[in-house]
Amino acid sequence: MDSLRIEATSCSPLIDFDPAAGLLRIEGESYPENSFDFYAPVFNWLEDYLKTPAPAVVLDIGLSYLNTSSIKCMIDVLEMLDGAHQQGQTVSVRWHYDSDNDRALDMAEEFAEDVSLPFEILAH
Amino acid sequence: MKGNELFNLQELLSRQKLLICFSGPFSHSVIEELGKAVRNHLENERIEKSAIMDVFSVYVEQAQNVRNYTASREALGRPIPANSGIVVIGKEDDHYVVSSGNLVEADDVPGLSAMLEKLRGLDKAGLKAVYKEQSRKPREAGASGAGLGLIDMARKATRPLEYSLRAVDDTYFFFSLEVQL
Repeated sequence: MDSLRIEATSCSPLIDFDPAAGLLRIEGESYPENSFDFYAPVFNWLEDYLKTPAPAVVLDIGLSYLNTSSIKCMIDVLEMLDGAHQQGQTVSVRWHYDSDNDRALDMAEEFAEDVSLPFEILAH
Repeated sequence: MKGNELFNLQELLSRQKLLICFSGPFSHSVIEELGKAVRNHLENERIEKSAIMDVFSVYVEQAQNVRNYTASREALGRPIPANSGIVVIGKEDDHYVVSSGNLVEADDVPGLSAMLEKLRGLDKAGLKAVYKEQSRKPREAGASGAGLGLIDMARKATRPLEYSLRAVDDTYFFFSLEVQL
């Protein structure tokens, strides 16, 4: 399976998914013109990948700001990973946030509330 | 615009302790550039990062709502009269106020006011519950947003959302929304 890489812009995050290593990175800010169009390749890639993922998969998220339609997309991404976790795959999330930004912590905690997979929230 | 009209407009805007005002076609690049300007300005004011992000995120939700609504009417073959959207960020005492206005079709008024009245009646816990419920709903085909914008603004606001809907003609109402942070 091919890796997925989408370079960051000022309003959309870096997407860097390495299938063999099981390392998935999303970093930056997310308020693209159309969030659902932006995240469509991410959903498609994950849907394929999660059929036969690496032995351990880690999603590293470093998103300092998401608009509400990007939040919805991120909920959908986390639900896909949570589904794989519930089927016995080793999947976890590490959410990185800037310790000056309380809002980023609140947001991370809300995302963590809705999933059962291991979810670490790390201040930087 | 005539000089005295410009003077009056500027005077009206100054009284609002305005950070930014934009009226015109909301393209994505306009939304992004203005957003950057707002953030730079607030960073120079040395206010807390979380407060900067609240102003920025309410501004983005409002501007994207105006743009998405306008684009959706265009897609239906019912374009809204040009340049009727406006976004204003001002300061009252020590807090920020983010406001937007745009034309909406008369048929959308009952749904919009019902939604806003519902949000105005909820406390923080109630708003969170509505937010969670909406965020779990499957996306509507073709929708440009997730239906979370107004709820998110209500959650960030320190007071209930203020709004008005004023009939402009048989087809349109002018919808204004004010979010106090």
